[in-house]
Order: sequence, then structure tokens, then C-alpha cells
Amino acid sequence: MATALTPRTDVAGIYRPAGHLDAATALAPYKGAWDARMAAHLLRRAGFGSSPDEAAKYGSMDVHAAVDALIDFPTTDSLPEPDDLYDPRAAYMQYLQPGMRPGALDDMTKRKIGQDVRQHERQSVIALQRWWLNRMLVTPAPLQEKMALYFHGHFTSAAIQKGVSPVMVYNQNQLFRTSALGNLRDLTWQVSTDPAMMIYLDNARSDPQHPNENYARELMELFTLGVGNYTEQDVRESARAWTGWILRPRDGTVQFVPFRHDNGSKTFLGETGNFAGRDIVDIIFKQPASATFFANSLLNFFVYNGPEPQLVDAVAKLIRKNDFTIKPVMSTLLRSNVFYSSRAYRALVKSPVEFAIGTYKTLGAKEIDDRAQRALVQMGQILFYPPNVAGWPGGANWLTSQTVIARENFLASIVNSPMMDSVDWMQKMPLKASQAAKDLIATVLHGDASAQSVAQLTDYLNGAGTSALGMLSGENYPERIRGAAYLTMAMPAYQLN
Amino acid sequence: MKRRNFLAGTLTGLAVVANTQHVFAQALAQSPLPGLPGAANRCLVLINLQGGNDGLNCVVPFGNPQYYQLRPTIGVARNDVLSINDKVGFNPTMRSFKSMYDKGMIAVVQSVGYPNPDHSHFRSTEIWQTAAPDKYEHTGWLGRYLDDANLPKDNLFNGVALAQVLPEVMVAGKTDVPAIAQINGYGLISDRNNSASMAYTKLVSDNRLPFSSPYLAHVAEIEDHAQKGSQELPKLIAGYKPAGSYPATPLGRSLALAAQIVGSNLGTRVLYVQHGSFDTHVGQKATQDRLLGEFSDAIKAFYDDLAAHGADNRVLTMTFSEFGRRTAENASRGTDHGEASPLFLIGGGVKGGMYGAYPDLSDTNMGNLKFDTDFRSVYATVLERWLGRPSAPILQGQFSTIAALG
Repeated sequence: MATALTPRTDVAGIYRPAGHLDAATALAPYKGAWDARMAAHLLRRAGFGSSPDEAAKYGSMDVHAAVDALIDFPTTDSLPEPDDLYDPRAAYMQYLQPGMRPGALDDMTKRKIGQDVRQHERQSVIALQRWWLNRMLVTPAPLQEKMALYFHGHFTSAAIQKGVSPVMVYNQNQLFRTSALGNLRDLTWQVSTDPAMMIYLDNARSDPQHPNENYARELMELFTLGVGNYTEQDVRESARAWTGWILRPRDGTVQFVPFRHDNGSKTFLGETGNFAGRDIVDIIFKQPASATFFANSLLNFFVYNGPEPQLVDAVAKLIRKNDFTIKPVMSTLLRSNVFYSSRAYRALVKSPVEFAIGTYKTLGAKEIDDRAQRALVQMGQILFYPPNVAGWPGGANWLTSQTVIARENFLASIVNSPMMDSVDWMQKMPLKASQAAKDLIATVLHGDASAQSVAQLTDYLNGAGTSALGMLSGENYPERIRGAAYLTMAMPAYQLN
Repeated sequence: MKRRNFLAGTLTGLAVVANTQHVFAQALAQSPLPGLPGAANRCLVLINLQGGNDGLNCVVPFGNPQYYQLRPTIGVARNDVLSINDKVGFNPTMRSFKSMYDKGMIAVVQSVGYPNPDHSHFRSTEIWQTAAPDKYEHTGWLGRYLDDANLPKDNLFNGVALAQVLPEVMVAGKTDVPAIAQINGYGLISDRNNSASMAYTKLVSDNRLPFSSPYLAHVAEIEDHAQKGSQELPKLIAGYKPAGSYPATPLGRSLALAAQIVGSNLGTRVLYVQHGSFDTHVGQKATQDRLLGEFSDAIKAFYDDLAAHGADNRVLTMTFSEFGRRTAENASRGTDHGEASPLFLIGGGVKGGMYGAYPDLSDTNMGNLKFDTDFRSVYATVLERWLGRPSAPILQGQFSTIAALG
């Protein structure tokens, strides 16, 4: 069997943690020490970080209670819905006489409507991003949102470019949320007939005479199997099987239209029959490579990059045993030895969303502010606009001089904002510089800094490098504590998840 | 360029910026590069036409009736083509580009590709960037060039990527290449405060942490370089006044910055720029025409600008795209992923004209153009005849060169 392609996060496997994997006990339940630092690790991975209170709360449970609280998450029905989502069809309706088709409009009118629609759609998607970011911050079910983010990067679709409307973006996002811990095969099928996906990867524009291969290819390459586990012929045959699915222009709903379906016999991954889309999904999930592919992908997202083949195989086995239902798989992973091992600890690079939301969490903020979305653009992660169909490459790719500057400047801007006046722990730092430095590092980094860094932060608090050299005092306290909070968050450890 | 001129060019920079002396000190102390005379001052600009540029509607084989049979709705009309000869011509949006071609500044290499082509954007882009079709290689071919070329180690700008995310082609084993999306905002707010700036420098170099992470050294290095590089770069390029009329497009802005960096003599040897997306499965004409027009105008402005600074002859530009597209159009007035396509070599050292085999529309791989020139032959040509390095170690194999560079 060909092995699945190593995900883009780490093509060469050079960011696999050093040291030895104990494959035999890797997935066995973790029985080691449990405290706020371990809880914070869990909350960074299965959520978006923690406020000091949350880290303390989860730290006072045991590992199983903490994971149970994340896995058996409460209902999130009481969280606010997004504001009105812009529907471009309304704009067209204004200009259309009864019975008139949009195609009958003259070019000038079409262009005018087009500009109007694009502007409103952009605004609507920006509002939707803000809604989701706030949801990540305040949800009582962080793992649900984390899985939605994982699926957003995995089953990539992008807003607007090809006519994916804000409503479609929202519906796909909801699909990922409601399928958070559901079944991967079912989700793959639902995504395949999701309007945003059908537009983004062109299945909505395919027909038996000219089957469009875009979705057929990416379904196997990026979503389920990986390169090397299918042939070009399989792509072509799959494209034929997917014909027949259309989007109704009137209401944007998905429909199967038999006369647009290629009813001929197809041979796909070694099986032959008059296959349609659902058959393609089912055949794909019969391939051993599908479980391997998802195992690799989940390990890279939740545990560490470049996981060993033995670890991938063990998780793949677990996935197959549970027939692709993801809840028991995540439950096992999040309580496993390998997840809490020193090899997994801070072994991932924070994505910009993790970095930004984690910062608001650390500050105990109740909502994001205007900085977040601007900064996320500069850090290289715009929700609903992945760079291409392969999603965000992640890992070392997140960090360039440009994106690191964006990260640090986001922090600098936020610590100098009025928001900081309401950060509880910031007001309670001791006046003794060395103690304040320790407390900052405990609160922000859960202690993950060297004694040398504590000393340097102490020096900074005591005015090193300023003309007005002087000990930390009531007079310079707000400015220096803010500066020191920035410097603590600018330390390398803070970039790591 | 003679060594004396190189000195004269850099001394101005030294006078302006005191804290960047090491960049030049290293460059000057360095013994002359083996290989071509003047290679030390040459620069390669690589433009990635992302998404798979449709070669047949870019360099249009209007002399071949089959072309119009394959493309009844999106074919470029014979009368609109900017003809090069009686067989092919440029897309009508590429007027500026054609004027440069007519001056002998452009080599068109047709039918470039590689054996067993991959149709995935991701994998084929990776193949072009790593120059390794048969295995998963971590470093890019220009990254390996940077490692190989004995460039001054303290120079943070030996290679520069004008992109938010570092492209694989610039990933090196020993050289950290800065990725810069735009120069505005390329700097740390905390550097405005001396005390914070000093503390930052110290804290990011802390390597005695109470945990180990495979990414720790990488993060620390990038944080350090982000601070140093952003302190230096704006000052180093401030003296350069752009002299081209760049289009107000992302590519126009990128190439304006590229000219500023190259023209400021920072010792930059390779520079990456991107443009796209050319992934035209649907409604190809509008998208591709816009992108090719932007490309053509931006390239013209770039070379006008460089020429005004006397730098045009030391800057070679090369384009690439992960693949061409299917010869036949699809039901959506677009084209699907294909195989071979043309690439361009522009500017310094180029012997203008047509190279490589014309696309054969009657003998295809299931509707995809077969390749004639292996892209690694073009890379080998650039490495050996422009950058002055033996190509075999970098490309991990010996490839014949083409005559387009002299």
C-alpha cells in the first residue's frame, strides 16, 4: 500500500519531535501529573487557549473529567446567531420584472448589480468572521469550534470568488459545527453536496459531455486519500460519477437531476458499476488509505507534526474500529500518553486564529475588538478565505519575518489599548519587579520561560535601557507592566501551541 | 559589473546606515565567486504564475486550425493575437510585453514540463519549486542555491520572497529567507521604545527553556531576523526612487519593491514574486486576460525602472506556473489542469526569441500537451549561465542547458 502523503505542514518530517515514541503505550490513558499547566495544554489544543480562571478550573479536575467536559460538550443553542446574512438574489430581484431571467438584463445593469453584490457580500463575510471569532472566544464548547476550524481547513471552500454567497459560507460552517464529532464518511458525503463546495470546486458546473474533474481530484487528493492512492483514470471516472448534481439558481438548493448524470459504467478504485457520488464516497472509505489519511491529518493538527508511521497506524486502526466516527477517536487522543508527553508539549506552531483568540482568552476578554480581523489578514489566516484548495499549510509556514511582525504588533497594539484596563490580573501584579516578572510568566506562559528570561523581564520592569532608570513604582507601573506583558507574549514559547 | 562600481554603489548605503555595516563588510570581504565574471552582482527574479496559466491562450498557436476546433468559445481570434511569427503570438492583453519581445528582451521557451506530470496544484507546484519530481524534497532549488553559493552569512537579504508565506522554492537548509508582503508595516512597534527593543532582542534569544519543541529554534531565529531585518531594510532601500509607471495591482506593487531592493545593492541574488490565480476552470477569458494584462504592464514598468537605474542588465526574470491547461475547453468556458506550457526569460543575459518545440495539438497525453524541454534544463541554464554555479549538485542531476541565455 502506498503511504499517504505527509501533510503540507511538514513535508520532510523535520519538525517531528526528538526522542523516542513508545508506540505500545502511546494511546493508553495518561496517568501522569495533572495541573493548570497540563490543563492549559489541553485547552490550547482542544480549544483556543484559556483564561487564567479556566486553566485553574480545568487544572483542579482530573484528566478524564477535563476531557469529558470538552468531549461531551453542552448545547450551544443559546449562543447568538450571526446577523442578517446578505443574500445576493435579493439584489437581482429588485431589477427583474416578473418572469424575467437574470440573463435578460443589459450589461450595464448587470455590472452595476455585480459591484453592489460584491460589496455587500464582502461586508457580510467580514461580519460572519467576527461572529465566528467571538464564538471561538466565548463558547462553552471549544472543541466543537476547534473541530469546525479543522474541517474548514480540511474540506476547503472559499467565499465569494466563484459566487459562494455568505449564506452558503454560513451553512457550510454550520455543517462542520454540527458534524464536529460525527462521522467522517457522512460528513464527506454532506460536504460533497454542499452548495459552497459544489461551487468552489466546480461540481455545480459539470455535465456528462464535459465532466469537470476539479472536485473529483481534490476529494481524493486533499480530503480523503492523498496522492499515490489513486490514478488519473480514477479521477476521470469519479468526475463522471459526480455529474447530475446541480444548484437551483432560484433558491440555491442542491438537486440531483438524472438527465444530467452520466449513467454509463465506471471503473473506480478497482470496482465497476453505474456509480454516482454516494458510491464514490463509500468506495473511497473502503480504502485502507482513507483511515491512514485522516489519522495523519488529525495527529498533525492536534498532537504533533510528522507523526511516526506506527502512531499513524495505531490511530488509523482506531478510526476503522469506530467506522470513521470521530468522537471516540478524539476522546482517546485527548487522554492519551502521547498527547501529554513532552514530545507533544508546545510541539505545534500556533495558527494565527489560535494566536489571536488565545490572546483574548489570556486577557480574559469577553469579546474580540477591531484589531483581530485586521491582524489576522497580516498574520496570513483569513477565515473563509483559505489561500487555495489545500487549505493553510501550517507549521513552519505560519512564521515568516512578515507574519511574525504582524503577530508581535498585534500584541503591542492590544497591550496599549484601553482594553487592558479591565484585565483583572494585570491590575494585581506585585510592585516588586522580580515577583511581577514571575507572575507574568506564570499567567501568560504557564511558567514556560527560563530563569534568565525572568531576570531580563525583571530588568525591564526596573527600567533597564530607559533614560529614566528607576525601580518599578506606582508611577510607572501601568506602562511597565503593559510593556512586560507584551514582552512575555513576544517570547518564543508563546508562538507555540 | 566591475568590483570598483560595486564598491561605489554600496558606499552610499554605508554612509546612510551605520548599523548595517556587517551586510556590506561581509559582501566586500568575500572572495570573488567562482564561475561567471560579474555573477556576484546578478539577480534572478522568479515570478510564480499561480494556479496553472493556460499556455495556449497566453502564447497562442493561432496558425494551427486545431486550436480553434478545441476552443470554439474561448479561443483567441486570429486577428486579435499579437503575432510573433506565422504560428504563434501573444495574448492581445500583452502589448507591453510584446514591445519588449520585439526589442529582443524576452525568450519564450515553449512546451516546458517534466515526465509523469502531476495534475494537482499542490504537488506540481511543489515539484517545480523543489525541482524534485520523483521524491518529496524539503528544500527549494533556490534555497539550495543560497546554501551552495557561499554568500555572506550575515546578510539577511541574500534571498527575499515578496510574499506573506515563504514559498517552498526559497526554503533552504542553512539560509533564512525573509518573506515580506509589503514594506509598509514591516517593522516592530516595540522597536520604537529603546527599552522594549533591547529586552525583545534578549528574550527571543533565550534557548534554555523548561521544555523542548521541534519548532523552538526556528521561532527564535525568525523572531530575531524579523527584528533585525525590519530595522535595516527600510533604511537600506530608502534612497532608491522608483522610475517606472507601475500598475496599481498587487504584482505592480511587488515588482516596484523588487526593483527597489535589487537597485539598492543589498547583495540580493534571488527574489520571489507571485501573481495569480490562473486556475481558470470557469469563465477563463475574463480572469486570464486581466492577469496577463497586469503581468505585461508590470514587467514593462519593472524593466523601465531598472533601466533608469542602470540595473536592467543585471536582473534576469523567469516565470513559471505549476502546469498548463487542457487543450480542449470544458463546459464552463474554462480549462482543466493540463501539462506542458511555455515560460518566459526576461531581461539580463537573455537572447530574445523562441525556444523549445511548438505545442503539438494532435499528439497529446489524453488532451494534455506533451513536454519538450524539462524545466530543470531551464533551471540548469539559469544556474550555470546566470548565477554562475554548477547546476548538478543543486538540481541533484545533470541537465542540458538551453541557448536562451548567453
